Amino acid sequence: MADEANPAGTATETEPRDPESAMPADEQPGTAMERSGAAPPARAEPQLPMLPGEVRPHPTPQRYVMIGAILVAVTAAEIGLYYLQGDVPDGLIIAFLLMFAVIKFALVASWYMHLRTDKPIFRRFFILGIVAAISLYLIVLTMLHVFSP
Amino acid sequence: MTTDQVAVPSEHDLVEAGHEAPATGMGVTNTKLAMWLFLSSDCLFFGAFISTYLFYRGRPQPGPHPADVYNIPFTSVTSFILLMSSLTMVLALAAIMRGDYRRLRVWLLATALFGATFIGGQVFEFTEFYRQGFTLTKNLSGSTFFVLTGLHGAHVTAGIIWLLSLWGLATQGRLTSRDSERVEIAGLYWHFVDVVWIVIFTVVYLIPK
Repeated sequence: MADEANPAGTATETEPRDPESAMPADEQPGTAMERSGAAPPARAEPQLPMLPGEVRPHPTPQRYVMIGAILVAVTAAEIGLYYLQGDVPDGLIIAFLLMFAVIKFALVASWYMHLRTDKPIFRRFFILGIVAAISLYLIVLTMLHVFSP
Repeated sequence: MTTDQVAVPSEHDLVEAGHEAPATGMGVTNTKLAMWLFLSSDCLFFGAFISTYLFYRGRPQPGPHPADVYNIPFTSVTSFILLMSSLTMVLALAAIMRGDYRRLRVWLLATALFGATFIGGQVFEFTEFYRQGFTLTKNLSGSTFFVLTGLHGAHVTAGIIWLLSLWGLATQGRLTSRDSERVEIAGLYWHFVDVVWIVIFTVVYLIPK
């Protein structure tokens, strides 16, 4: 009934939709034992309602804070690495700095921009833009001998 | 109804469900799809300026050079603040989805204030660079650096205005759970300027010449 009244699958104030009920059992959060009810989790995290274009519920605020802590740790490692210049080969520093940037970019895009839980169409659009930009400008910079010694 | 017909909700149904814009045939709203298309095209926009900076960075030109004037500890702090504003932004979204309007107002304002702090830091940094002789017209590195970081700052400023307008609506009680998608779309824009800064901070500030 809720879906007939709410065809876009949106959350309303009066009829919040239970997102887990719409998901296949193997995609629902928690272990099989927790889902079966045999051993309920000690502290269940309340799931948020779903917005249009989502296929899974958003992460909980606790999860957001955890991702934020990881981002802080990676940023600290990045800055620490910067001060190792001179002691460590530049090539190694550049490789690690780029790796840390990719990790931070991926964490923000997938968790905070909800690409993990949204329909794949958004992920495809975004990846298309990133791949197009990287490919185009790498070709241009290579033709202009920017990476030549 | 034949098997090849797809039941698409009418605009009336969607308005009733709390959405101003009708869904596309893909089951997503036009506004969210448009924002993702904009962000995708903005990747090419910022890519052009980052590439131009990289092209001119190592060229022989009169000093001072960017690496001579950077204050990495200071920029690290402002970068950290911008990163944390992404956290407060998602907490604002979680708050409106739960119907917790007090926290929504708090997190929206915190995000805007973090963004304003970042911009204040950028203004201070630019001023210091000018005092040390690294200006927009000093050399090509200066031109490309100020245009790249200035355009990013303009994006952040637009985001702050957007967030403050949402905060104003929230304080008047005109932003409810039904408007969650409006906050989500503002959040997408805000997180995008954050990920662009992640790239700029690494490529422009941290990577050695």
